[in-house]
Amino acid sequence: MTTGREPDTSRSSTASTNGTGDRRRSGESDTSDVGVDSPSRTDGGQTGVSGWAGERLAGTPLDGAGNALADVDVRLADAVAYGLYGVAMLFFAFPVLWIVSASVRPAGELFSFPFRFFPREVSVTAYQRVLQEGMVTWLVNSTAITIVGVGSIVAVSVPAAYAFSRFRFRGRRQLLGVVLLFQMISSIVIIVPLYSVLTSLGLVDTRAGLVLLYVGIQTPFSIWLLKGYFDTVPEELDYAAQIDGCNRLQTLRHVLLRPIAPGIAVVAIFNTVFLWSEFVIAYTVLGSERRLYTISIGVYEFQSQFGNDWRAIAAASVVGMLPLVAVFVALQRYFVKGLIKGSLKGE
Amino acid sequence: MATAGEDGLVASGVERGRDLASRIVDNPVPWLLPTLTVLALFQLYPLVEAVRLSLTNEVLTATSTEFVGLENYVDLVTSIGFRQMVVVTAVFAVSSIVLHTVAGLVLALAIDYGVRRGLRGHLTTRVSVLLAWIVPGIIIGLIWKVMLVESQFGAINHVLGTVGIGPVPFRSNPTLALASTIVAGTWRGTAFAMIMIYGGLQRIPPRLYEAARVDGAGRWARFRHVTIPQLKPVMFVTIVLVSIYALNTFDLIFALTNGGPGRATEVFALFMYRKAFTDYALGEGAAVAVVLLGVNLLLTAVYLYVFDIGDQL
Repeated sequence: MTTGREPDTSRSSTASTNGTGDRRRSGESDTSDVGVDSPSRTDGGQTGVSGWAGERLAGTPLDGAGNALADVDVRLADAVAYGLYGVAMLFFAFPVLWIVSASVRPAGELFSFPFRFFPREVSVTAYQRVLQEGMVTWLVNSTAITIVGVGSIVAVSVPAAYAFSRFRFRGRRQLLGVVLLFQMISSIVIIVPLYSVLTSLGLVDTRAGLVLLYVGIQTPFSIWLLKGYFDTVPEELDYAAQIDGCNRLQTLRHVLLRPIAPGIAVVAIFNTVFLWSEFVIAYTVLGSERRLYTISIGVYEFQSQFGNDWRAIAAASVVGMLPLVAVFVALQRYFVKGLIKGSLKGE
Repeated sequence: MATAGEDGLVASGVERGRDLASRIVDNPVPWLLPTLTVLALFQLYPLVEAVRLSLTNEVLTATSTEFVGLENYVDLVTSIGFRQMVVVTAVFAVSSIVLHTVAGLVLALAIDYGVRRGLRGHLTTRVSVLLAWIVPGIIIGLIWKVMLVESQFGAINHVLGTVGIGPVPFRSNPTLALASTIVAGTWRGTAFAMIMIYGGLQRIPPRLYEAARVDGAGRWARFRHVTIPQLKPVMFVTIVLVSIYALNTFDLIFALTNGGPGRATEVFALFMYRKAFTDYALGEGAAVAVVLLGVNLLLTAVYLYVFDIGDQL
């Protein structure tokens, strides 16, 4: 740490005597020369990279320890950051908390004056009502569709991602381009023909049909994400396994699966969120079959039926989001880490 | 490793079967076959079929259909509902893009700052924002419907009522209804922009900041001359992806306002869905879909151009 710090201080002192001097440090500088200088510095800086990176992670972004102005600056910046956290938490968390609170209020004092967030007593009658309307069926259907769907998506996209990463065949780039194109096209554009495809396959009003559509829709994204993970695994590992006598399938299973496991987890989590939440396709395919309702369809139909029972709508919403929220809260660090992986070498 | 042991077993076993297996797995086709099948069935064919349908007068209830050329497109563009829908979609999309990106940028910077300074609360903030993102779209629509109920029963109107305002007609006034969908959309969409931009912030090499600091750049100067230029590519990609996302929004609006009042919140996807599944005019609905497809493709082209994805192919 200390050795990393030393060249830094010497450099900054030379810099400040070099250029326009102390005025630049106080912040009113003509900073255009930062842009001019940095390319030449980048080269020179490379030798010290590790030490500096360590310093940046551990230390404060404060420079010029003796600068009294900076201290005020930092306190101000901290206050702004805390203020933003507060506003963000209020805006993003309040509706969810409110819906939970609304769902457990007794029917009489739904919204009583004065404004109270916590109801005086907890009532589960709203939940009982949703339960009677088929909530268990919706949950079972959504769970089954999500598990089978996510499993199928992973099973289809892992081999494809492997092939795109490890084989060099003609038309590979073009095919990848097409896959990307499919990823970018929203499924709502093709919803009418999707319906007719299922009709000709005889799979309308079946959960299997819906799962197949989901596999078709979510595979492109999953392939791209997984290919990125495969690409980060050096091919030397494959060669080593080959020398040990593994064929490609064995290499994938015994050697590559472990390093790409985080990628599979990210794909699984993302697809779980998508499949659980998806509405328009499910509604189109299963909307006429009450016993096949997923949670999204069920909650939607429930609210069109009991439009004014806000407590029950709130209860249905809580039930619909609770499983996802639970999964998410358990995995959120992993989730974000996986998402920005590749960019974060240090963490 | 386990590999070696198992391999030894295999080698001593059926040598010929292993050769055959190796030969099969040495060809990319078996690896890609499941993917190619589902993509052909559920992506390629539907796309072609959507274009074909848009050139016919197919109606779900009629038995015979005929080729009508571009008639659907001409009818579409000249119809009154279409113009209003384009305006509504444009307002919704542009506001969403601005709000998602700005809110995402501000939060990403605040969280990045908090992580480096060791401030408390950055994790809770991140979780709150992401929480809104994973709530199913239909339920987001319903949550905001309950929040915006137009009497003192609605949370927002309740709060406004205590300070003597309201009740505000959040869902029955056309302008306010559109604003409500935009706010609900921002509630959901900010997380995506935030994660993308946060990822971009982590990608900025620390030595650039060091170099700037060495040159005596203050906090603002470093932000202005290091962070912003370095963040430009990821901002662009975020904007394009948010645009695609906003233009295809369906479920949230379907649950919150169902396009109403009148057609005040009827965006592209909702317009198309109604044509196809309420009016049963599959041909016309397909024409709307193809227009939306064209917009999507245009944005994708921009995305590819900016992202310079060529290296990754």
